[in-house]
Amino acid sequence: MIFSKKKITTEYTVEQCTKCGTLTKRKFNHGDVLFATLLKCASCDGHTRIEKIFGETVEQ
Amino acid sequence: MNFTNFDLDQLFSMGDDSNPLLMIVWILPIILFVFYGQQIQLFVTSREIKKGLKKLDNFREESRTELINYVKNNLKVKNDPVKKIDKFLEYFTIMPVDMDPNGIVDKVHHTVRSREDYTRSHVKSLSPEMNDIELNKIQTLLEIASSLQMIYKIVNHMFLTAKKQNNYPLILPLQMLLPFIMEQAEAMIEAIPAFKSDQPVGDGIGPMVVGKMMLEHEKETIAFQTSLSKIDFEDRKLFLLKAEGPASTVGRPADGLEKIMSENKIDAIIMIDAALKMEGEDSASIAQGFGAAIGGIGTERFQIEAVATTNNVPIFSIVVKQSVKEAITLMTEDIADTAEIVRLQLNEMILENTKSGQSVVIIGVGNTSGVPQ
Repeated sequence: MIFSKKKITTEYTVEQCTKCGTLTKRKFNHGDVLFATLLKCASCDGHTRIEKIFGETVEQ
Repeated sequence: MNFTNFDLDQLFSMGDDSNPLLMIVWILPIILFVFYGQQIQLFVTSREIKKGLKKLDNFREESRTELINYVKNNLKVKNDPVKKIDKFLEYFTIMPVDMDPNGIVDKVHHTVRSREDYTRSHVKSLSPEMNDIELNKIQTLLEIASSLQMIYKIVNHMFLTAKKQNNYPLILPLQMLLPFIMEQAEAMIEAIPAFKSDQPVGDGIGPMVVGKMMLEHEKETIAFQTSLSKIDFEDRKLFLLKAEGPASTVGRPADGLEKIMSENKIDAIIMIDAALKMEGEDSASIAQGFGAAIGGIGTERFQIEAVATTNNVPIFSIVVKQSVKEAITLMTEDIADTAEIVRLQLNEMILENTKSGQSVVIIGVGNTSGVPQ
Protein backbone atom coordinates (compact mmCIF):
# COMPACT_ATOMS: atom_id res chain seq x y z
CA MET A 1 0.00 0.00 0.00
CA ILE A 2 1.21 3.52 -0.77
CA PHE A 3 0.24 5.02 2.58
CA SER A 4 0.93 2.06 4.88
CA LYS A 5 3.89 2.50 7.19
CA LYS A 6 6.57 -0.11 7.75
CA LYS A 7 6.38 -1.70 11.20
CA ILE A 8 9.59 -2.56 13.03
CA THR A 9 9.63 -4.69 16.18
CA THR A 10 12.49 -4.29 18.64
CA GLU A 11 13.02 -7.08 21.15
CA TYR A 12 13.79 -6.21 24.77
CA THR A 13 14.81 -8.13 27.89
CA VAL A 14 14.02 -6.83 31.37
CA GLU A 15 16.25 -8.02 34.22
CA GLN A 16 15.37 -7.63 37.88
CA CYS A 17 17.68 -7.94 40.85
CA THR A 18 16.39 -10.67 43.18
CA LYS A 19 17.72 -8.72 46.19
CA CYS A 20 17.13 -4.98 45.64
CA GLY A 21 14.48 -5.25 42.89
CA THR A 22 16.26 -2.88 40.47
CA LEU A 23 14.88 -3.23 36.94
CA THR A 24 17.14 -2.99 33.88
CA LYS A 25 15.80 -2.87 30.35
CA ARG A 26 18.15 -3.82 27.51
CA LYS A 27 18.04 -5.16 23.94
CA PHE A 28 17.35 -8.91 23.67
CA ASN A 29 20.43 -11.10 23.24
CA HIS A 30 20.28 -14.45 21.51
CA GLY A 31 20.03 -17.12 24.23
CA ASP A 32 18.01 -15.04 26.70
CA VAL A 33 15.22 -17.08 28.30
CA LEU A 34 12.77 -16.06 30.99
CA PHE A 35 13.79 -16.57 34.64
CA ALA A 36 17.44 -17.18 33.74
CA THR A 37 19.80 -15.96 36.48
CA LEU A 38 22.42 -13.64 35.07
CA LEU A 39 25.28 -11.49 36.28
CA LYS A 40 25.67 -9.58 39.53
CA CYS A 41 23.43 -6.57 40.09
CA ALA A 42 25.06 -3.18 39.43
CA SER A 43 23.58 -1.63 42.60
CA CYS A 44 24.05 -4.42 45.17
CA ASP A 45 25.65 -7.85 45.58
CA GLY A 46 22.51 -9.70 44.45
CA HIS A 47 21.95 -11.46 41.12
CA THR A 48 19.67 -10.40 38.32
CA ARG A 49 16.97 -12.61 36.79
CA ILE A 50 15.18 -12.17 33.46
CA GLU A 51 11.63 -11.14 34.30
CA LYS A 52 10.25 -10.19 30.89
CA ILE A 53 11.08 -10.61 27.21
CA PHE A 54 8.87 -8.60 24.91
CA GLY A 55 8.64 -6.76 21.61
CA GLU A 56 7.89 -3.10 20.98
CA THR A 57 6.53 -2.28 17.55
CA VAL A 58 7.00 1.16 16.02
CA GLU A 59 5.72 2.44 12.68
CA GLN A 60 8.22 4.11 10.37
CA MET B 1 -17.04 25.32 -39.14
CA ASN B 2 -18.05 27.57 -36.34
CA PHE B 3 -17.59 25.98 -32.93
CA THR B 4 -18.14 29.16 -30.93
CA ASN B 5 -21.87 28.68 -30.61
CA PHE B 6 -21.61 24.99 -29.52
CA ASP B 7 -24.70 24.06 -27.51
CA LEU B 8 -24.67 20.87 -25.42
CA ASP B 9 -28.43 20.99 -24.87
CA GLN B 10 -28.94 21.13 -28.60
CA LEU B 11 -26.54 18.24 -29.32
CA PHE B 12 -28.20 15.82 -26.90
CA SER B 13 -31.58 17.48 -27.18
CA MET B 14 -32.06 17.52 -23.41
CA GLY B 15 -35.57 18.79 -23.73
CA ASP B 16 -36.48 16.24 -26.38
CA ASP B 17 -36.94 12.52 -25.41
CA SER B 18 -36.99 11.28 -28.97
CA ASN B 19 -33.28 11.91 -29.75
CA PRO B 20 -31.78 8.45 -30.67
CA LEU B 21 -28.22 9.47 -29.61
CA LEU B 22 -29.43 10.27 -26.08
CA MET B 23 -31.37 7.01 -25.93
CA ILE B 24 -28.22 5.02 -26.80
CA VAL B 25 -26.17 6.90 -24.17
CA TRP B 26 -28.61 5.89 -21.43
CA ILE B 27 -29.76 2.47 -22.59
CA LEU B 28 -26.35 1.01 -23.52
CA PRO B 29 -24.94 0.93 -19.93
CA ILE B 30 -28.22 -0.51 -18.66
CA ILE B 31 -28.04 -3.38 -21.18
CA LEU B 32 -24.36 -3.83 -20.40
CA PHE B 33 -24.98 -4.14 -16.66
CA VAL B 34 -28.05 -6.38 -17.06
CA PHE B 35 -26.23 -8.92 -19.23
CA TYR B 36 -22.60 -8.53 -18.14
CA GLY B 37 -22.95 -7.21 -14.55
CA GLN B 38 -21.75 -10.44 -12.92
CA GLN B 39 -18.75 -10.67 -15.27
CA ILE B 40 -17.76 -7.09 -14.41
CA GLN B 41 -18.09 -7.83 -10.68
CA LEU B 42 -16.14 -11.06 -11.18
CA PHE B 43 -13.36 -9.09 -12.88
CA VAL B 44 -13.16 -6.51 -10.08
CA THR B 45 -13.30 -9.14 -7.30
CA SER B 46 -10.75 -11.33 -9.08
CA ARG B 47 -8.23 -8.51 -9.06
CA GLU B 48 -8.59 -8.18 -5.27
CA ILE B 49 -8.29 -11.92 -4.68
CA LYS B 50 -5.28 -12.17 -7.01
CA LYS B 51 -3.46 -9.62 -4.84
CA GLY B 52 -4.23 -11.70 -1.73
CA LEU B 53 -3.15 -14.90 -3.49
CA LYS B 54 0.17 -13.36 -4.49
CA LYS B 55 0.77 -12.41 -0.85
CA LEU B 56 -0.14 -15.93 0.31
CA ASP B 57 2.21 -17.43 -2.27
CA ASN B 58 5.04 -15.21 -0.97
CA PHE B 59 4.26 -16.21 2.64
CA ARG B 60 4.31 -19.90 1.66
CA GLU B 61 7.65 -19.57 -0.11
CA GLU B 62 9.15 -17.43 2.67
CA SER B 63 8.18 -19.88 5.43
CA ARG B 64 9.59 -22.82 3.42
CA THR B 65 12.87 -20.97 2.76
CA GLU B 66 13.19 -19.95 6.43
CA LEU B 67 12.71 -23.57 7.50
CA ILE B 68 15.21 -24.96 4.99
CA ASN B 69 17.81 -22.30 5.86
CA TYR B 70 17.36 -22.92 9.58
CA VAL B 71 17.83 -26.67 9.17
CA LYS B 72 20.87 -26.21 6.90
CA ASN B 73 22.58 -23.58 9.08
CA ASN B 74 21.84 -24.88 12.57
CA LEU B 75 21.73 -28.67 12.36
CA LYS B 76 24.29 -31.21 11.31
CA VAL B 77 22.39 -32.70 8.38
CA LYS B 78 23.93 -35.61 6.51
CA ASN B 79 22.04 -35.27 3.23
CA ASP B 80 20.31 -32.38 1.48
CA PRO B 81 17.16 -31.80 3.61
CA VAL B 82 15.13 -30.00 0.88
CA LYS B 83 13.50 -33.14 -0.54
CA LYS B 84 12.51 -34.41 2.90
CA ILE B 85 11.16 -31.03 4.00
CA ASP B 86 9.09 -30.72 0.82
CA LYS B 87 7.67 -34.18 1.52
CA PHE B 88 6.77 -33.11 5.10
CA LEU B 89 5.00 -30.01 3.76
CA GLU B 90 2.68 -32.18 1.68
CA TYR B 91 1.58 -34.38 4.61
CA PHE B 92 -2.14 -34.44 5.19
CA THR B 93 -4.41 -35.77 7.93
CA ILE B 94 -7.68 -37.52 7.19
CA MET B 95 -10.05 -36.97 10.09
CA PRO B 96 -12.15 -40.00 11.20
CA VAL B 97 -15.66 -40.53 9.85
CA ASP B 98 -18.24 -38.81 12.08
CA MET B 99 -21.45 -40.36 10.67
CA ASP B 100 -21.62 -42.32 13.93
CA PRO B 101 -20.33 -39.82 16.53
CA ASN B 102 -19.95 -42.49 19.22
CA GLY B 103 -16.26 -42.65 20.16
CA ILE B 104 -15.25 -39.89 17.71
CA VAL B 105 -13.09 -38.05 20.29
CA ASP B 106 -10.91 -41.12 20.89
CA LYS B 107 -10.52 -41.59 17.14
CA VAL B 108 -9.55 -37.92 16.57
CA HIS B 109 -7.22 -38.10 19.56
CA HIS B 110 -5.53 -41.21 18.15
CA THR B 111 -5.18 -39.70 14.65
CA VAL B 112 -3.70 -36.43 15.92
CA ARG B 113 -1.29 -38.17 18.34
CA SER B 114 -0.16 -40.59 15.63
CA ARG B 115 0.53 -37.69 13.29
CA GLU B 116 2.51 -35.85 15.99
CA ASP B 117 4.60 -38.94 16.79
CA TYR B 118 5.20 -39.72 13.13
CA THR B 119 6.28 -36.14 12.34
CA ARG B 120 8.55 -36.04 15.40
CA SER B 121 10.37 -39.24 14.46
CA HIS B 122 10.77 -38.15 10.84
CA VAL B 123 12.01 -34.66 11.77
CA LYS B 124 14.49 -36.33 14.11
CA SER B 125 15.77 -38.39 11.18
CA LEU B 126 16.97 -35.13 9.53
CA SER B 127 19.70 -34.95 12.15
CA PRO B 128 19.65 -37.72 14.81
CA GLU B 129 21.88 -35.69 17.17
CA MET B 130 19.44 -32.77 17.50
CA ASN B 131 18.17 -32.07 21.03
CA ASP B 132 14.52 -31.83 22.09
CA ILE B 133 14.45 -28.00 22.01
CA GLU B 134 15.65 -27.96 18.38
CA LEU B 135 13.27 -30.79 17.49
CA ASN B 136 10.26 -28.89 18.85
CA LYS B 137 11.39 -25.73 17.10
CA ILE B 138 11.65 -27.49 13.73
CA GLN B 139 8.25 -29.10 14.31
CA THR B 140 6.69 -25.69 15.01
CA LEU B 141 8.32 -24.11 11.94
CA LEU B 142 7.16 -27.07 9.86
CA GLU B 143 3.63 -26.66 11.19
CA ILE B 144 3.66 -22.97 10.17
CA ALA B 145 5.04 -23.71 6.69
CA SER B 146 2.59 -26.56 6.02
CA SER B 147 -0.37 -24.48 7.28
CA LEU B 148 0.58 -21.60 4.96
CA GLN B 149 0.98 -24.08 2.09
CA MET B 150 -2.49 -25.51 2.78
CA ILE B 151 -4.10 -22.04 3.04
CA TYR B 152 -2.59 -21.02 -0.32
CA LYS B 153 -3.75 -24.24 -2.00
CA ILE B 154 -7.34 -23.94 -0.73
CA VAL B 155 -7.71 -20.24 -1.63
CA ASN B 156 -6.14 -20.84 -5.04
CA HIS B 157 -8.46 -23.81 -5.68
CA MET B 158 -11.58 -21.80 -4.81
CA PHE B 159 -10.44 -18.88 -6.96
CA LEU B 160 -9.54 -20.97 -10.01
CA THR B 161 -12.80 -22.95 -9.79
CA ALA B 162 -14.86 -19.74 -9.76
CA LYS B 163 -12.84 -18.35 -12.69
CA LYS B 164 -13.11 -21.59 -14.66
CA GLN B 165 -16.89 -21.70 -14.25
CA ASN B 166 -17.10 -17.91 -14.74
CA ASN B 167 -19.29 -18.03 -11.65
CA TYR B 168 -19.56 -14.84 -9.59
CA PRO B 169 -21.59 -16.24 -6.64
CA LEU B 170 -18.92 -18.93 -6.19
CA ILE B 171 -16.23 -16.32 -5.63
CA LEU B 172 -18.32 -14.31 -3.10
CA PRO B 173 -17.61 -16.47 0.00
CA LEU B 174 -13.91 -16.28 -0.79
CA GLN B 175 -14.06 -12.48 -1.07
CA MET B 176 -15.81 -12.31 2.31
CA LEU B 177 -13.42 -14.73 4.03
CA LEU B 178 -10.17 -13.41 2.53
CA PRO B 179 -9.53 -10.62 5.11
CA PHE B 180 -9.80 -13.18 7.96
CA ILE B 181 -7.58 -15.66 6.11
CA MET B 182 -4.99 -12.94 5.45
CA GLU B 183 -4.99 -11.94 9.14
CA GLN B 184 -4.22 -15.54 10.15
CA ALA B 185 -1.57 -15.96 7.45
CA GLU B 186 0.15 -12.66 8.34
CA ALA B 187 0.20 -13.70 12.02
CA MET B 188 1.81 -17.02 11.09
CA ILE B 189 4.55 -15.48 8.97
CA GLU B 190 5.34 -12.93 11.69
CA ALA B 191 5.53 -15.74 14.27
CA ILE B 192 8.60 -17.33 12.63
CA PRO B 193 11.30 -15.00 14.13
CA ALA B 194 9.98 -15.47 17.69
CA PHE B 195 9.98 -19.28 17.46
CA LYS B 196 13.39 -19.29 15.76
CA SER B 197 14.92 -17.26 18.61
CA ASP B 198 13.16 -19.19 21.44
CA GLN B 199 11.28 -16.09 22.53
CA PRO B 200 8.02 -16.18 24.51
CA VAL B 201 4.84 -15.60 22.49
CA GLY B 202 1.54 -14.11 23.71
CA ASP B 203 0.06 -17.59 24.14
CA GLY B 204 2.83 -18.31 26.66
CA ILE B 205 1.32 -16.10 29.38
CA GLY B 206 -0.24 -19.11 31.21
CA PRO B 207 3.04 -21.09 31.31
CA MET B 208 4.86 -17.84 32.28
CA VAL B 209 2.70 -17.37 35.40
CA VAL B 210 2.90 -21.03 36.45
CA GLY B 211 6.59 -21.34 35.45
CA LYS B 212 7.53 -18.52 37.81
CA MET B 213 5.67 -20.23 40.67
CA MET B 214 7.60 -23.45 39.93
CA LEU B 215 11.03 -21.79 40.18
CA GLU B 216 13.26 -23.23 42.88
CA HIS B 217 10.89 -26.15 43.50
CA GLU B 218 11.42 -29.77 42.60
CA LYS B 219 10.05 -30.71 39.16
CA GLU B 220 9.05 -34.04 37.67
CA THR B 221 7.87 -35.09 34.23
CA ILE B 222 4.27 -36.17 34.71
CA ALA B 223 3.32 -36.70 31.05
CA PHE B 224 5.00 -36.30 27.67
CA GLN B 225 6.71 -32.87 27.61
CA THR B 226 4.71 -31.84 30.70
CA SER B 227 6.23 -30.75 33.99
CA LEU B 228 4.79 -30.89 37.53
CA SER B 229 5.77 -29.19 40.79
CA LYS B 230 4.09 -29.57 44.16
CA ILE B 231 4.11 -26.53 46.44
CA ASP B 232 2.33 -25.37 49.58
CA PHE B 233 0.32 -22.16 49.69
CA GLU B 234 -1.70 -20.86 52.66
CA ASP B 235 -2.22 -24.39 54.08
CA ARG B 236 -3.28 -25.72 50.67
CA LYS B 237 -1.42 -28.11 48.40
CA LEU B 238 -0.88 -26.82 44.85
CA PHE B 239 -0.05 -29.08 41.90
CA LEU B 240 1.51 -26.81 39.26
CA LEU B 241 1.37 -28.14 35.72
CA LYS B 242 2.83 -26.69 32.52
CA ALA B 243 4.51 -27.79 29.30
CA GLU B 244 8.26 -28.38 29.61
CA GLY B 245 9.95 -25.15 28.58
CA PRO B 246 11.81 -23.49 27.06
CA ALA B 247 11.00 -25.75 24.10
CA SER B 248 8.17 -24.73 21.78
CA THR B 249 5.48 -27.16 22.93
CA VAL B 250 2.07 -27.19 24.61
CA GLY B 251 2.74 -30.52 26.34
CA ARG B 252 -0.06 -32.90 27.31
CA PRO B 253 -1.79 -31.24 30.29
CA ALA B 254 -4.85 -33.54 30.10
CA ASP B 255 -2.69 -36.67 30.54
CA GLY B 256 -0.89 -34.95 33.42
CA LEU B 257 -4.16 -33.98 35.12
CA GLU B 258 -5.54 -37.49 34.72
CA LYS B 259 -2.47 -38.94 36.41
CA ILE B 260 -2.56 -36.39 39.28
CA MET B 261 -6.26 -37.05 39.90
CA SER B 262 -5.81 -40.80 39.89
CA GLU B 263 -3.26 -40.53 42.69
CA ASN B 264 -4.58 -37.57 44.75
CA LYS B 265 -7.84 -36.10 45.99
CA ILE B 266 -8.24 -32.79 44.15
CA ASP B 267 -10.78 -30.13 45.18
CA ALA B 268 -10.43 -27.60 42.35
CA ILE B 269 -8.76 -27.09 38.98
CA ILE B 270 -7.64 -23.64 37.84
CA MET B 271 -6.54 -23.07 34.25
CA ILE B 272 -4.63 -19.99 33.03
CA ASP B 273 -4.60 -19.41 29.29
CA ALA B 274 -4.55 -16.79 26.55
CA ALA B 275 -7.94 -16.18 24.90
CA LEU B 276 -8.87 -14.51 21.64
CA LYS B 277 -10.23 -11.03 22.29
CA MET B 278 -13.34 -9.78 20.56
CA GLU B 279 -13.14 -6.71 18.34
CA GLY B 280 -13.38 -3.64 20.58
CA GLU B 281 -12.01 -5.44 23.63
CA ASP B 282 -8.70 -4.24 25.06
CA SER B 283 -5.65 -6.34 24.45
CA ALA B 284 -4.10 -7.80 27.63
CA SER B 285 -7.33 -7.47 29.61
CA ILE B 286 -7.89 -10.24 32.17
CA ALA B 287 -11.13 -12.16 32.71
CA GLN B 288 -12.17 -14.95 35.05
CA GLY B 289 -14.71 -17.67 34.41
CA PHE B 290 -15.77 -21.29 34.66
CA GLY B 291 -14.90 -24.23 32.45
CA ALA B 292 -11.75 -25.54 30.83
CA ALA B 293 -9.78 -22.76 29.13
CA ILE B 294 -7.79 -24.62 26.51
CA GLY B 295 -7.75 -24.35 22.73
CA GLY B 296 -6.67 -26.80 20.08
CA ILE B 297 -8.69 -29.43 18.29
CA GLY B 298 -10.86 -30.13 21.37
CA THR B 299 -9.61 -33.54 22.49
CA GLU B 300 -7.54 -32.16 25.41
CA ARG B 301 -10.52 -30.10 26.62
CA PHE B 302 -12.77 -33.16 26.36
CA GLN B 303 -10.33 -35.22 28.43
CA ILE B 304 -10.02 -32.50 31.11
CA GLU B 305 -13.82 -32.04 31.31
CA ALA B 306 -14.33 -35.80 31.52
CA VAL B 307 -11.88 -36.29 34.38
CA ALA B 308 -13.29 -33.26 36.25
CA THR B 309 -16.87 -34.51 35.83
CA THR B 310 -16.02 -38.05 36.97
CA ASN B 311 -14.37 -36.68 40.13
CA ASN B 312 -16.95 -33.90 40.61
CA VAL B 313 -14.27 -31.18 40.68
CA PRO B 314 -15.04 -27.58 39.56
CA ILE B 315 -12.87 -25.97 36.87
CA PHE B 316 -12.09 -22.24 37.12
CA SER B 317 -10.27 -20.21 34.49
CA ILE B 318 -8.31 -17.00 34.17
CA VAL B 319 -7.70 -15.75 30.64
CA VAL B 320 -5.61 -12.94 29.17
CA LYS B 321 -7.30 -11.53 26.06
CA GLN B 322 -5.26 -10.96 22.90
CA SER B 323 -5.54 -10.99 19.10
CA VAL B 324 -4.55 -13.92 16.85
CA LYS B 325 -1.37 -12.10 15.91
CA GLU B 326 -0.43 -11.29 19.50
CA ALA B 327 -1.02 -14.90 20.54
CA ILE B 328 1.59 -16.38 18.20
CA THR B 329 4.11 -13.55 17.83
CA LEU B 330 6.66 -12.18 20.33
CA MET B 331 4.88 -11.28 23.58
CA THR B 332 3.96 -7.60 23.90
CA GLU B 333 4.91 -5.57 26.98
CA ASP B 334 1.24 -5.19 27.95
CA ILE B 335 0.73 -8.96 27.98
CA ALA B 336 4.01 -9.57 29.86
CA ASP B 337 2.93 -7.01 32.47
CA THR B 338 -0.26 -8.97 33.22
CA ALA B 339 1.76 -11.91 34.65
CA GLU B 340 1.96 -10.36 38.12
CA ILE B 341 -1.73 -9.32 38.13
CA VAL B 342 -2.80 -12.82 37.05
CA ARG B 343 -0.72 -14.29 39.87
CA LEU B 344 -2.47 -12.08 42.44
CA GLN B 345 -5.88 -12.99 40.99
CA LEU B 346 -4.90 -16.67 41.09
CA ASN B 347 -4.01 -16.42 44.79
CA GLU B 348 -7.38 -14.78 45.48
CA MET B 349 -9.20 -17.43 43.47
CA ILE B 350 -7.49 -20.24 45.41
CA LEU B 351 -8.41 -18.67 48.78
CA GLU B 352 -12.01 -17.91 47.74
CA ASN B 353 -12.79 -21.34 46.30
CA THR B 354 -10.94 -23.78 48.54
CA LYS B 355 -10.65 -24.43 52.26
CA SER B 356 -7.59 -24.99 54.38
CA GLY B 357 -6.07 -28.45 53.79
CA GLN B 358 -7.51 -28.86 50.30
CA SER B 359 -5.62 -29.50 47.05
CA VAL B 360 -5.72 -27.55 43.78
CA VAL B 361 -4.31 -28.28 40.32
CA ILE B 362 -3.13 -25.16 38.50
CA ILE B 363 -2.49 -25.55 34.78
CA GLY B 364 -0.57 -22.98 32.72
CA VAL B 365 -1.97 -23.65 29.25
CA GLY B 366 -0.21 -22.54 26.09
CA ASN B 367 2.97 -22.66 24.07
CA THR B 368 5.93 -22.58 26.41
CA SER B 369 8.53 -21.34 23.88
CA GLY B 370 11.18 -19.39 25.81
CA VAL B 371 9.42 -20.04 29.14
CA PRO B 372 11.27 -22.49 31.42
CA GLN B 373 10.15 -23.54 34.90
